Amino acid sequence: MPFTAKSGKFNAKINTVAVGTGDAAITLGGENVFPFYTFDDAIENAPKVGIEITDGGMESEPECVQKLYEGCTTVVDMAKKAVTFEGVDFLSIRLEGGDPNGKNRPTEELIQIVKEVADAVDVPLVVCGCKNVEKDSELLDKAAAALEGKNAMILAAKEENYKTVGASAGLAYKQVVGAESAVDINLAKQLNVLLTQLGVDSKTIVMNAGTAAVGYGFDYVISTLDRVKAAALSQGDTTLQMPIVTPVASETWTVKESTASEEDMPEWGDLEERGIDMEVETAAAVLAAGSDAVILKHPESVRTIKAMITELI
Amino acid sequence: MTLFDIIYSGNDELFARADKAINDAIAQYGEDKAVAFPDTAYSLPCYYGVTGQKVGNLGELKAALANVKETLMGRKPRLNDVFNSGIASALCAEFLEALKYLDGATPYELPRYGHLSDAMIRELGVPLVTGDIPGVAAIIGTAPTAQDAVDLVKSYQAQGILVTLTGGVIDQCESLGLKTGFNIRVIPLGDEMQSVIHVVSVAVRAALIFGNITPGDLPGLEKYTMDRVFAFVNAYGPLTDEIFAYGGGAIALGFPVITNEDRYRVPKSLIYQEDVSKFNATSLEARDIKLKITNIDIPVAFASAFEGEIIRRGDMQVEFDGSRVDCFELVHNKDASEVEDHKIELIGPDIDTFEVGSKHSIGYIVEVAGKSMQADFEPVFERKFHSYLNCIEGLMHTGQRDMIRIRISKDTFNAGFRVKHLGEVLYAKVKSEFAAVVDKCQVKIITDPEMCTKLRHELAIPMFDKRDERLTTLTDEGVDVYYSCIMCQAFSPSHVCVVTPERLGLCGAVSWLDAKATNELDPQGPCQVITKEKVIDERIGEYEDVNDAVRKFSQGALEDVSLYSIIEKPMTSCGCFECICGIEPLSNGVCIANREYAGMTPIGMTFSELASMTGGGVQTPGFMGHGKHFISSKKFMKAEGGIARIVWMPKDLKDQVAERLNETAKELYGIDNFVDMIADETVVTEDPEALLEFLTEKGHPALEMEPMM
Repeated sequence: MPFTAKSGKFNAKINTVAVGTGDAAITLGGENVFPFYTFDDAIENAPKVGIEITDGGMESEPECVQKLYEGCTTVVDMAKKAVTFEGVDFLSIRLEGGDPNGKNRPTEELIQIVKEVADAVDVPLVVCGCKNVEKDSELLDKAAAALEGKNAMILAAKEENYKTVGASAGLAYKQVVGAESAVDINLAKQLNVLLTQLGVDSKTIVMNAGTAAVGYGFDYVISTLDRVKAAALSQGDTTLQMPIVTPVASETWTVKESTASEEDMPEWGDLEERGIDMEVETAAAVLAAGSDAVILKHPESVRTIKAMITELI
Repeated sequence: MTLFDIIYSGNDELFARADKAINDAIAQYGEDKAVAFPDTAYSLPCYYGVTGQKVGNLGELKAALANVKETLMGRKPRLNDVFNSGIASALCAEFLEALKYLDGATPYELPRYGHLSDAMIRELGVPLVTGDIPGVAAIIGTAPTAQDAVDLVKSYQAQGILVTLTGGVIDQCESLGLKTGFNIRVIPLGDEMQSVIHVVSVAVRAALIFGNITPGDLPGLEKYTMDRVFAFVNAYGPLTDEIFAYGGGAIALGFPVITNEDRYRVPKSLIYQEDVSKFNATSLEARDIKLKITNIDIPVAFASAFEGEIIRRGDMQVEFDGSRVDCFELVHNKDASEVEDHKIELIGPDIDTFEVGSKHSIGYIVEVAGKSMQADFEPVFERKFHSYLNCIEGLMHTGQRDMIRIRISKDTFNAGFRVKHLGEVLYAKVKSEFAAVVDKCQVKIITDPEMCTKLRHELAIPMFDKRDERLTTLTDEGVDVYYSCIMCQAFSPSHVCVVTPERLGLCGAVSWLDAKATNELDPQGPCQVITKEKVIDERIGEYEDVNDAVRKFSQGALEDVSLYSIIEKPMTSCGCFECICGIEPLSNGVCIANREYAGMTPIGMTFSELASMTGGGVQTPGFMGHGKHFISSKKFMKAEGGIARIVWMPKDLKDQVAERLNETAKELYGIDNFVDMIADETVVTEDPEALLEFLTEKGHPALEMEPMM
């Protein structure tokens, strides 16, 4: 008796969400099969890869990344350079300097940078906050206003500030709204529901269902992503069918594997390689678990992950 | 004249004015002359919102007015015609205002704003959606005195409410030097009554921008403004027909009108308030506006960091001790008319009259009122008092109900802390954490010893008794719904608790009433309603709807559960169980171990060994995690014969549940002192034979029962 493979394609599918405008715009989601299961059905929109810079410019980058941006002096210079690296689909600017417990840069100053970057590049933009929910309410509200018409992605609304970020980015200025929750399928779902109830169109929401570097509680991340995708596809749960975007760089470049110097840890080998490895391994795993986009820092990681995606789709 | 006639007459008057103004303008400029408000993408926003049609020039404006007349200005004595005529009046006003802006004119000079730009609305819209601007007050007319006007504006300002001013009130505020402006959210619109349309335009554009309302969808627009735009009108009398006509429009959009002119009253919509100093309170109540509480007004810090703080006798200024004198704490659900929001009343002496280190009586009653408030929530709030009060720096609270003890440290007393500050904390926390159900809240604090004694015995204890009675009479059969609880899914992804009145969550912390309150307070949260209409098997407590819910909340990991069986489809456990119960085959019964018990059980496993088998959200027939209170429930292992199966428990646990367990045994089987028949570690720790011997000696009922497996 011949073997007949059973197709694993689902009736439900992930929402498609467009980010950016014009020729450079990208589309996330749309798949009706598990990640990279192209043998079950075609995956129309391959996962996308973004590159991340911060408001801190060159100073806040690790040395190995700095050298690839050689000659750049401002954040805008870096933005222009970043989008030229191979494999970059979109640009993410993280406003980490806004953190009141850090540099506490004023909102106006940061928004000015966002505007300049937006004017300098054509690719879709992602704006990430500083991880302080109160400051982020203000920062992301103003960023959404400053980028009106750009169809940018605002990362992210959290349970504590979803009303402000959702109303601003989703309702007032019609951007793509990121919904961030901490590795828990129920919280992810709850936030999506709350945003939808606020009036945000569910087709403009993307999720950051939580992230970590490999080895740092990463199993929770993977099982959460797995379960989100399973609920979205096999159970047709419309409140979980938003594409997933995972900011990887901000997690992997702060762990000891990526920061301990070669003098301190000679047995660990080359520092730059370690940083890239951490980033690539994390990104590959979250993509395999269902992420529709990843945000990375090192151009070599971007190139590698892009090659992996192209190979598999 | 009836109110209907007045509104129709006001509407007719406005129509005539608009008609004449448009004809005059056409005569002067011709029909092709452009008409527009500056800085808006919504044409004439009110007309666009109501009809879905844009108006670009005078000719179209004339057609628009004809359309208003034809579609909205019905004159039958029907409510619908009145509301539509109100809206028609607003549209006439918008047309009149639009004519002022012909040729790019700037008809308004600051501080008067007239038309507000889209950018301003986007800026206002976000805090309106989040509740940071809790409401919008449209003040119109001339106040009895300038001071009245300023006081009213300031009262709204202090609450973060956006204020717009129309008419004589602007001059009144100016005369007393009140600062106004968009940035401080007091916006004078214009001196003519018709300029009130510019705040209506804000509401309409908010609906289009933030509510995704399709222009022309009038019912949708009215529903949005009613549900989401917390605006209201304060109209100072005398009221003209024109103002009544606008009022009809406001009411159609869901905005109540509060006035000091006692000519007509319409319940909930046109409200008479003689005393203009009470406009604020009346308006907030009429529009159901809840203010966010951002800070607690006490002289010391308030943070969870202070929760575990111990106040030693030597550091103590004063103590209230419920074990020695009469003390109590109570939440009392009242009618809205009996509660004055944020009233904090002290009955008796304050602590600065007490000797250092002395012991006193205290009672505090938090009286709450709210449309969705239920007496069942009282104990839920009350149980939080412990954590609220402990967050106060230099204050220690223990116990609950009428067995409380509070110590206040010398440092805290010296910082200025007095009894009323307890009230401030309780008010602020209850109001902010239970905002979904509490509309108003007041606190009475009693330190008068005789009064404390009286209230403890005549008010508090009867209420506690009533609640206990309610709890014991709540049965699974007596309610229509159960609740899910998936609070633990963060670490036990497939576990779902089904919480029923007689089976509380296995952690012991979520009773059916808690789950019900959680659901009301946070409708998207971890506790969802589960219906129980389709019985599959009464004996083991299996329902089709419960299975559906469990399947959904476990994301398909669980197919079916029973509520009352440990053998057939038992409920899963996360890992938070207070107790684990497992089958002991030799005696045909079950052993229960509680978390605190570290020793061995006759099953041959310790609590932690049992836990590793039972937790993780998997069904393990023969083992079950549960709360301590469940042990004395009539539904405990009902399918296998109930509590008569319990053969062994640690002594501590036995002592905790003895009274209620004996009662249940008496009721179910007519057995007296059932607990004495149950073995514990002082009789047998691990030998099943010795257990059997003990049980035989006691004549334990389990020995006579059908085999479980």
